[in-house]
Amino acid sequence: MQGIELAIIYVTSFSILLVGYLTAISSKDLIRLLIALELMFGAVFMSLIPLFSAISDAAFGIAIITIFTSSGELLVLIAAIVTMDMQRKNIYTSSITLGGDKL
Amino acid sequence: MVEGFFSTRYYRKKPKVFLTIVQNFESMSIEIETLLLFAIAGVAVLSSLAVLLTRDNFYASMFMSATLIMVAGVYALFNLQPVFVLIVFIFVGAIGIVTVALAATYRFAPERQISVLWALPVIITAFILAFSVHISNLAPLEKIQFALPKFMTPEYLLLILSLTALIILLLLSVLKMGIEKEVRKS
Repeated sequence: MQGIELAIIYVTSFSILLVGYLTAISSKDLIRLLIALELMFGAVFMSLIPLFSAISDAAFGIAIITIFTSSGELLVLIAAIVTMDMQRKNIYTSSITLGGDKL
Repeated sequence: MVEGFFSTRYYRKKPKVFLTIVQNFESMSIEIETLLLFAIAGVAVLSSLAVLLTRDNFYASMFMSATLIMVAGVYALFNLQPVFVLIVFIFVGAIGIVTVALAATYRFAPERQISVLWALPVIITAFILAFSVHISNLAPLEKIQFALPKFMTPEYLLLILSLTALIILLLLSVLKMGIEKEVRKS
């Protein structure tokens, strides 16, 4: 793997991660937050690629665990979104209501 | 006679010409790989920016899926097909589809999605990262040597099987919640 390929991979990974952070910060509903999290996990997957040229055997195990763990986390968030919608009837994050108070 | 045949001017030059063509092709193929990586990475970054810029949740989820497929495409480019399959089938195929379905259900356009206040520190961080990558001389790593048969051990297969079962269970529970919600609405 050449130096320029490494640079492309790392810069792309950082860019997707930063866009994911910005999307998460400026999201006004939970769906956008979920999409931002998936983008961030995508950036993590991309940053794992150089690991394959150093320790390919361990990197494959790390990739499997990362993919399944992140999928599990996202499914839990999806379940939380559905539950929140059933209880609160909306999924906005711009305002939080609790016990009659609104923030 | 054979020696004389190969010692003519034409046949002496021909191997050199072929060698040059082969060398050029080899160097060109490396450049093509790098260019392809650059193109895939560019599409990935552009589609991730589209997630940020679009107002519709449905289109945002579609662009997110495109970004993840491009990330998986980089794995395929480096001949890491098992990880490509895992990302495309599990991450995009299962989670991405559920996200697209949710985004299509809760499809609304907020008034403004980008926070300008937060964009500034993000841009500054991006510049610092780009500068640090520019000044650091990244040493080339070895070529990726990946052999799948090494992972066909019972331990790895058991791990993959249990993780797949966990994901299927979680997907089923999410689907059950969605069906219950639809039943309540109707």
